[in-house]
Amino acid sequence: MASAERTQEILKGLREAVVAYDEEAAARLSKAALAEGVSAYDAVRQGLAAGMEKVGEMFAKHEYFVPEVLLCSDALYAGLDILRPHIRAGDASEVRKQIVLGTVEGDVHDIGKNLVKIMFEAAGWLVHDLGTDVKLEKFAEEQARTNADIVGLSALMTSTMLAMPRVIQMIKARSPGAAVMVGGAPLSPEIARQYGADGYARNAGEAVREAVNMLSRLGTKG
Amino acid sequence: MARQDRMTSPERMADLLGGRPIDRVPLFLFAKGFSAVNVGYPVASVVNDPEKSFRAQVWTQEMYGHDEEPRLSYAIYGGWEFGGEVKFPTGEFAQAPSISRYPVQSEADVEKLKLPDVKTAGILPLMMEFCRLQEKAGRPIVPSFESPFTTAGNICGVSTLCRWMLKRPELVHRLLRLATDHVLEMMRYWVETFGAERLRPNEGAPTESNNMISAKHFAEFAFPYVKELHGKLLAMGVKHIASHICGEQNANLPYWAQVPMGDPGIVSFGHEVDLATAVKYFGDTCVIAGNIQPAVIQTGTPEQVYQLCGQALAKAKYAPRGFILMPGCELSPLTPPHNVYMMKKAVTDFGWYEAVPSDV
Repeated sequence: MASAERTQEILKGLREAVVAYDEEAAARLSKAALAEGVSAYDAVRQGLAAGMEKVGEMFAKHEYFVPEVLLCSDALYAGLDILRPHIRAGDASEVRKQIVLGTVEGDVHDIGKNLVKIMFEAAGWLVHDLGTDVKLEKFAEEQARTNADIVGLSALMTSTMLAMPRVIQMIKARSPGAAVMVGGAPLSPEIARQYGADGYARNAGEAVREAVNMLSRLGTKG
Repeated sequence: MARQDRMTSPERMADLLGGRPIDRVPLFLFAKGFSAVNVGYPVASVVNDPEKSFRAQVWTQEMYGHDEEPRLSYAIYGGWEFGGEVKFPTGEFAQAPSISRYPVQSEADVEKLKLPDVKTAGILPLMMEFCRLQEKAGRPIVPSFESPFTTAGNICGVSTLCRWMLKRPELVHRLLRLATDHVLEMMRYWVETFGAERLRPNEGAPTESNNMISAKHFAEFAFPYVKELHGKLLAMGVKHIASHICGEQNANLPYWAQVPMGDPGIVSFGHEVDLATAVKYFGDTCVIAGNIQPAVIQTGTPEQVYQLCGQALAKAKYAPRGFILMPGCELSPLTPPHNVYMMKKAVTDFGWYEAVPSDV
């Protein structure tokens, strides 16, 4: 069993490994955490995920860009692959939140959607990633199947964002309590409101915070 | 009563590029898929059917009285040309072709990658057929490509390109070398076919956006190759390069300003770049074009579009080398026609230059 001091050293090392996009260090420290009896859940939440949260903030402040964030996520997943199998049911005190994510029909752009996925996974959410060019009805179907808290819709093109109001209507018709947030280059808070979305995230770095605020605002879940 | 144009589009553009007075601010619509839908053709035809593409763009130009030469182009340039596969747009919301298989899937593929045959690769035979229609019609000829950095991303996928920039920069430099050399070969073929004088090459540069990469990475990877490419195109005898500096690129502008564009070049911007900033960096050497937000043209009211255009004209109409009113990026095929008309109306109401003698 690691001492409190050693535990803090490992957790700090995991955070720093993610921020420094050091995949090797993230894997090595994750193994060390397991070998020395640090809780896998703590290593994920207070180590890797905390590091990725910092990365999200740096991305939102234009200190990091897509290349850096992608490599940070590689370090994150290098650690998660080792630690996740050792997390026990009941380690988490809260029910895990869920999001259905996808890029809407007609649009194959996936970088923004994937960055959002990374941020939600790092924050402990269960992500149901539908991929790109997702048929409109699929979002409502997946939300109903999973009872996800949120559906996140992405579009990079001005034409494909036009699919969003129709998707939102389908989701609300099937599950009135489900929240929908939208994002992507052509979107704005005004267009999001016009389309009937409950939330809008300007970038991946702000997406999780906006999701939590949105659920709190709506008072439905979370 | 609205004032009438005193010049035809070809006269207006020739005089603008020749540094002579013109009657009014030219209008570009950046309307490719929109043009196809406008005349009842499938969106894909603007890319994969040269005759329909040319006809649709010419008719749309005539309908809206805009001044942009037609072109057959796409933002995924390089993906098909270097051996990958593309999917043409189908379906209600699709706007543009996409890459369904990248030519480079692994690090080993980069070493094996060869320069494509510019007479047969990807879209180039279609583009050549399209340019022959422009030649036959006595119009300027517009070969189109993407910047070396955007082309490199289209060869291996942007996520892979981003990872390699930090982990395997030598692979990125090899892709950029190939992309640059390929466009130079392609343009040599066009110069041999049509002569340099008639060419008005058009380039897009979306992947350089600072939503993707930092200015530091722009300087390291994108800048040297685009600078080299433009320098060599101008040395071939090309007079004017039109470059669409797409999206949020404010931090890259000090570098872009060092890229030769011709005398003058045409640089166009999205709404993310303020026109006053564009004039500051490029006004002395280039015609400035932009920057009406396509999402507003699509979802806004006619009054909003008209107001945005009026503000843009007030800001940039007297740019030293001229100004072109234009959407900040390609119009969606589903843009309401009345909002497109608002761009024309704004030019007609606020775009006149008082100095043209025949206009008094």
